Amino acid sequence: MVRNPPSAALVERFASIVGAANALTEPAAIEPYTLEHRGRYGGRTGLVLRPGSVAEVSAILATASETMTAIVPQSGNTGLVGGQVPDDSGSEVVLALDRMRTIRAVDAAGFTLTAEAGVILADIHAAAEAVDRLFPLSLGSEGSCRVGGNVSTNAGGTAVLSYGSMRDLVLGLEVVLADGRVWNGLSGLRKDNTGYDLKQLFIGGEGTLGVVTAATLKLFPRPKGLAVALVGVPSPEAALALFGAARERARQDLTGYELMPRIALDFVFRHIPGTRDPLASLHPWYVLVEVSSGRNQEDADATLEGLLGEGYEAGHVLDAAIARSLAEGHALWRIRHAISEAQKPEGGSIKHDVSVPVADVPAFLAEATAAVLALIPDARPVPFGHLGDGNIHFNISQPVGGDREAFLARWAQVNETVHAIVGRYRGSIAAEHGIGRAKRDLLPGVEGDVAMAMMRGIKAALDPKGVLNPGRVL
Amino acid sequence: MPIKILVAVKRVVDTNVKVRVKPDGSGVDLANVKMSMNPFCEIAVEEALRLREAGKASEVVVVSIGPAQAAETIRTGLAMGADRGVHVKAEGRIEPLAVAKLLKAVIDREAPGLVILGKQAIDDDLNQTGQMLAALLDWPQGTFASKVALGDADVDVTREVDGGLETVRLGLPAVVTTDLRLNEPRYASLPNIMKAKKKPIEEIDAQTLGIDLAPRHTVLKTAEPAARKGGVTLGSPAELVGKLKETGVLA
Ligand SMILES: Cc1cc2nc3c(=O)[nH]c(=O)nc-3n(C[C@H](O)[C@H](O)[C@H](O)COP(=O)(O)OP(=O)(O)OC[C@H]3O[C@@H](n4cnc5c(N)ncnc54)[C@H](O)[C@@H]3O)c2cc1C
Repeated sequence: MVRNPPSAALVERFASIVGAANALTEPAAIEPYTLEHRGRYGGRTGLVLRPGSVAEVSAILATASETMTAIVPQSGNTGLVGGQVPDDSGSEVVLALDRMRTIRAVDAAGFTLTAEAGVILADIHAAAEAVDRLFPLSLGSEGSCRVGGNVSTNAGGTAVLSYGSMRDLVLGLEVVLADGRVWNGLSGLRKDNTGYDLKQLFIGGEGTLGVVTAATLKLFPRPKGLAVALVGVPSPEAALALFGAARERARQDLTGYELMPRIALDFVFRHIPGTRDPLASLHPWYVLVEVSSGRNQEDADATLEGLLGEGYEAGHVLDAAIARSLAEGHALWRIRHAISEAQKPEGGSIKHDVSVPVADVPAFLAEATAAVLALIPDARPVPFGHLGDGNIHFNISQPVGGDREAFLARWAQVNETVHAIVGRYRGSIAAEHGIGRAKRDLLPGVEGDVAMAMMRGIKAALDPKGVLNPGRVL
Repeated sequence: MPIKILVAVKRVVDTNVKVRVKPDGSGVDLANVKMSMNPFCEIAVEEALRLREAGKASEVVVVSIGPAQAAETIRTGLAMGADRGVHVKAEGRIEPLAVAKLLKAVIDREAPGLVILGKQAIDDDLNQTGQMLAALLDWPQGTFASKVALGDADVDVTREVDGGLETVRLGLPAVVTTDLRLNEPRYASLPNIMKAKKKPIEEIDAQTLGIDLAPRHTVLKTAEPAARKGGVTLGSPAELVGKLKETGVLA
């Protein structure tokens, strides 16, 4: 791989593919494409290409393969593991899909939608809603992240519990391979066993195996009723017990179940304007519960009230605020979605995106919290996340008044401690955000030799020259 | 002596629902859409509860006029903390004058010291019921309240008027209608929702009250607002000035 910035002649060659206006070379224009959300992986590049068609993507990759130029695919730039931003060498060219924003087809009768990689997730939601359908993928970043990134990270979010992650929501893909060949796998078929299921390689491929240019997605009937509550619970154990009861009662209609500690709510109410505590007294833990109904609002309300009432009698529920209106429902969800943002003003935060078997979440939380506090006694654990998926964002805010850099310097040590506990539960150290640059060095340690050899083989088969996202994942 | 407060609440299409006009233009399609308590009515209930919690009211009664489902809106008020409900059952479109007359009939029986209503309902935006009710009762009225201070024999209502605030003192009994900034309504808590299931709701058939409920207005047409044109992102202030000139906004 070439480790020098592309020559003026090569920049010119790339620019001629997309047109000068869509080949960014001015630092001010480039900057938004090199800075990521957490500010941890900012790098450099002299060239951002913004193709407007599959043919242009194909020409870019053919040229990149020929000239051994590293390409970093980027869609919405909300990824949390540094995969979508260039490294510090200045040699990597960013390929931004943000101009490819066409929704090619909406098939209400067949419950599918085909969109190009640059369509923003919220626009997919709106397009589905316009034909009375639902696209269920729900992320805090949905106003900025784009289909190409959602596919390439196998995005999860809050609705995985009922609808699955992106892997369950994609029916077909259109992908440009590293050498520029275009694979049209945009099938809307629900059943298709003709050979290997190739799309699965690119879902969660993190831009290392091909560039996704379009996807056919599954749509669902829109729920006719939605009931949301913020529930105060005494402990993660109680939250788990309530989860079991909730699933029994609501079955597939339990569409959200998020665990949060009190400190997370304190941060949100302190830093996020327009939020307030919906409950009259304080509780050590909270769950956000969402129940949908295919029948009507009364049905959703009755299911939610029924399961919370039962939990109240059993002592698993201390109190609950139940949304009366859509606005109140949004306000409750906002508390959950604002947690990462609210952590920022509290100083440095060491993050883990881990999963363990659902039933082990309480024991994992207790053990990991104790281990972190043994390392850094005043650290403030803020573990929250998708309890129903066993997926916890085990974030730790720095001690009050402590030194930010000194705290963040212990990132690797804290990671190692927490990941060791995850390992004992046979959990995952990259539950939904992926590997990217952040966890690349950890991968061989958690995946055995056989798995690593298969992954390297797949990479070699699809991107033999290694031009796509080098140094990410593998 | 603490007084009884009566609050009128209306079941309306949820403010966050994107309503669609029926193909024949006769109104909006309410099949399968989320219905909620009118937000100004929520503020009215909240204010009444706060007055009761401050020891200035002894009882809060919520009244709603409408079909069977209006009982759910009353139940919502009870779950917020109101003491009991009155459901005046009536089908079809009931206009503000008829609503005001029906409320007067309930008020004649209940004899509250204060009646609080929302300043308007977000479905028809008519902003008439409170005023008509005050006129029918011949009680003083304080509309668009952003603050309510209840005394023994009177109530001070701070009103949001053009260009500022005006405070009026009304002798009790009186009618108050709420504006957005009066308070922020509480959430319905689980224990209160459970308690609310046991609170009584009295049912009155509107037909038995001897009031003419027939609409006096005819809806001629309902139309969607014109769709907004998409925006464009411009590269520089100079380009913006150019565009503004092009469209004739700037000379
Ligand atoms: C506030 C916030 C909340 C979040 N919540 C969640 C959550 O709940 N669940 C969750 O799973 N994630 C979450 N994320 C992470 C992130 O939003 C998702 O991973 C999202 O799917 C990334 O989409 P994107 O378009 O921003 O991708 P990008 O950041 O642009 O890219 C992500 C990765 O995909 C690759 N890539 C991008 N586009 C393509 C393409 N067209 N072809 C090939 N490779 C490509 C990039 O190289 C990179 O490796 C959150 C992020 C933020 C900032």
